[in-house]
Amino acid sequence: MPKQQDWTRRGVLRLAWVGVVAASALTIEPLVQYLTSKEDRLQSPLVAYNKPIDINSDWQNTANARVWVKRDSFGVMALVATCTHLGCEVHYHPEKKQWLCPCHGSIYDIEGRPVSGPAPKAMPRVAVERKPDSSLMINTAKQVGMGTRV
Amino acid sequence: MKEQKNFVNHIRPGVVPSRALSVLYTFCLGGLSFLAFVVLGVTGLLLMFHYQPGESNGYDSILTIASVIPYGGVIRNLHYWAGQLMVITVNLHMLRVVWTRSYKPPKQLNWLVGVALLILILFLDFTGYLLIGSQESGAAATVAVNILGLIPGMGTGLAQILFGEPSALSGSTLVVYVWHCVALPMVALLLQLYHFWRIRRDGGVRPL
Repeated sequence: MPKQQDWTRRGVLRLAWVGVVAASALTIEPLVQYLTSKEDRLQSPLVAYNKPIDINSDWQNTANARVWVKRDSFGVMALVATCTHLGCEVHYHPEKKQWLCPCHGSIYDIEGRPVSGPAPKAMPRVAVERKPDSSLMINTAKQVGMGTRV
Repeated sequence: MKEQKNFVNHIRPGVVPSRALSVLYTFCLGGLSFLAFVVLGVTGLLLMFHYQPGESNGYDSILTIASVIPYGGVIRNLHYWAGQLMVITVNLHMLRVVWTRSYKPPKQLNWLVGVALLILILFLDFTGYLLIGSQESGAAATVAVNILGLIPGMGTGLAQILFGEPSALSGSTLVVYVWHCVALPMVALLLQLYHFWRIRRDGGVRPL
């Protein structure tokens, strides 16, 4: 590299190549993240849940962030926490016994029925199946009524 | 210095006339178009890793790329805006060629190659718009198919070859995808390389 006083135009342009290489190196990590992202892979509609649930427990999250299970005196139910307005993931707030959608402020009661906000209907309940080893298999592709328990 | 006839000398000639260094003659519009084309090639290749064509998949995968896949929004927007830029610079490039009378002999063949490239780029732009798969793209595809259908005899078949069978709600089909991602860019690239080579062949020195 030339000394400070005899920097030529060519010297500066040569140095610019270092910047080009450095800028290219910075794109490697984003590229790897982009190319290895599995967010759009086909997901199985089946979600397993093998922890015990107490009767009248609160909603429990499963391995799939949007699938929740709960057990009352009639049995086990499963809910998909996808907002019925525009499909955002709805968060459960156990202290308020409410489901809140972060996108447009829809509020659902503990059963997933809309209380306020733009959500037009209750969040979907899906089928639960009890396996022989007493673990649960939730089929998110199969909707069931609000009163269904297993 | 001995002038060698090789590719490096073609890209970086030993002697460049000073008048050729004037930016205001070409405004670098052809070079900007080619730069946009390179950006479109790179970002388009990256988009292909996550995009799925088809009436039901197209729009969904665009939304997923733009909002869920890490950096997908950046890549999609680079592709979109480079596409918009290229249509603008290609048209301005053509206006400049008319303005400086550069379509006249001996460059009349390169003018025709350029016109072919303009048509290709506009068709690439249109097929890219269809691949978004939105309702607007479905309407655009329907209009295009209906217009082609007016050609007697071969219209329906031509529409089938160019667009497949797009629905009124989504222009994204496998046929459009293949044209947009493989066939049209390949032809456009080859024509562009010929376009650049002809500049020197017709006595120009400007690489852009």
